[in-house]
Amino acid sequence: MNTDRILRAAGSEREDAFFLPSFCDGWLMFAVVVITELLAIVIALVSPGFAADPWGHLGLISLYMQWIALTSAVVLCVVRPWLLRLSNMAAGLICYLIVLLVTAFVSETAYWLKLTSSGVLYITTEDHAVFLLRSLTIGTVISAVVLRYLFLQHQWRLQLEAETRSRIEALQARIRPHFLFNSMNTIAALTRSRSAMAEEAIQDLSDLFRASLSQSHDRSNLDEELTLARRYLHIEALRLGARLTVEWEMDTLPRDVRVPPLILQPLLENAIYHGIEPLPEGGSIRVSGRIDGGQVVIDISNPVGNQGVAEHHNGTRIAQANINQRLQLAFGRQAGLTSLQEHGYYQVTIRFPEERVS
Amino acid sequence: MKVLIVDDEAPARERLRGLLDELDHCVVCGEAATGQEALAGAEQQQPDVLLMDIRMPGMDGLEAARHLLALEQPPAVIFTTAYSDYAIKAFEAHAVDYLLKPVRRERLAEALKNARRLTRVQAAALQSAGDGPAVRQSICVRVRGGLQLVTVSDIRYFHADQKYVTVCTPDTQVLLEETLKSLEQEFADRFIRIHRNALVATQHLAGLDRHADGHFLVRLQGVDTQLEVSRRHLADVRRCIKALPG
Repeated sequence: MNTDRILRAAGSEREDAFFLPSFCDGWLMFAVVVITELLAIVIALVSPGFAADPWGHLGLISLYMQWIALTSAVVLCVVRPWLLRLSNMAAGLICYLIVLLVTAFVSETAYWLKLTSSGVLYITTEDHAVFLLRSLTIGTVISAVVLRYLFLQHQWRLQLEAETRSRIEALQARIRPHFLFNSMNTIAALTRSRSAMAEEAIQDLSDLFRASLSQSHDRSNLDEELTLARRYLHIEALRLGARLTVEWEMDTLPRDVRVPPLILQPLLENAIYHGIEPLPEGGSIRVSGRIDGGQVVIDISNPVGNQGVAEHHNGTRIAQANINQRLQLAFGRQAGLTSLQEHGYYQVTIRFPEERVS
Repeated sequence: MKVLIVDDEAPARERLRGLLDELDHCVVCGEAATGQEALAGAEQQQPDVLLMDIRMPGMDGLEAARHLLALEQPPAVIFTTAYSDYAIKAFEAHAVDYLLKPVRRERLAEALKNARRLTRVQAAALQSAGDGPAVRQSICVRVRGGLQLVTVSDIRYFHADQKYVTVCTPDTQVLLEETLKSLEQEFADRFIRIHRNALVATQHLAGLDRHADGHFLVRLQGVDTQLEVSRRHLADVRRCIKALPG
């Protein structure tokens, strides 16, 4: 069973790297029919016999082309699992050959069924070879174009995926160096006098770095995120003492909503760095959450001193743009971050759709 | 050697005190948590060296160092910092000593042995390379041998009279040893020139009156004095008053 799972995993990896879509898919089959019909209309319009009997003419050409296209699609659907084992190049060539063989076969059958005798496919019975050649040439050109299109589309999709992945990696939350060194200094002080507190601080710091360095970043929930935020605030509280207080109003939020990890921590870090630290008497950070129209909304607000216009600070802007992008990559356009400053308070609001993870 | 420890974080002060206690010839003469406390401490305790954090609330370490130079016998200053890439480059460029936190004992001993007085030029250069532009939060003046800090946001105007510049707040009027021109440059976004001899705080502007003889005078909140506006600066002052909220 284990081997089976590994094999399937390997198969799906190959599936991702394979350029040919599965023609067994209903939607794709429908697309084949529509595109073939459009081509049939074009061919009917340019053929000399169109004026005499437009509908009969179009009907026969459609019937003939749909026959070729659908047969090719069914054959490709059937042989696809076998083609998966080949390289893209070899598979492409074989697909090409299959389409040409199907074309030849259908043309030949059509000829013997006297589909052509009415003159609609503008040949007379003597022109057997010419008819076959003409059908094959059209088949050669069209299938080459279609295969090329499928290949390019596949390349484009791969590139897009790689870009998205590298963007997510680049945006991954990073603990800022000044926090690391300040924490190390606090721990160095605590080891002399209060070793139990130093031990706790080291554990908190380890958890934060584990989350920050982690690669599997998609399925974390609010509960885990709040734990990380508390670990972070615990370390900062050691350093800032009574200057830092935090008010939590998160009780109405379900603990199992999905939150990309380390979304709250950088916002709390900004609130401390630009809000609390510049105030000699310190202040209080308020974190409040609610559900609003199917969206999770979390506000983080901190007091600002008279000189602290946090918004204009470069570091803040980068951190906020980063979080905004991470939210949008995880949830799409409805998610995002906004900020405002009024009455001596600076407030950041993040919102994203309510999704549950176990 | 008397050392004053300046850091806004209690654990950081505690650690430096612990390290200094283990060094010979060193006595911790006091601790301060802000730039203002550091200035007061330096005046009262007369330390030989200040170990001073750069990033502190209110007045930061760099600004405090600039004000310390107004003392008759300014102490040597060794800066401490947790992490700041560009600041470290600035420190190296100006040969000013700094220690990276967490501070190593050997490195601390070495820095204390070589402690040097900071010069005015170094202090100014460091501050402009620091976190923000070299704009002070307060102005330090010497009054009867001691230091007095005047918070910039309290200042209503600077007035030049022959050689001296007077700084005026609702509570005090003191003389400064700085030129109006350098003050105008440093506080360009908070003060406006209204006359060859005066700069006024834009945030305290209350109104503009036309005097009977055709001169214009500005009113300022909190002080009764009205200052003359010259024709040259009239348009700027009008624009400034219009832009005021309310």
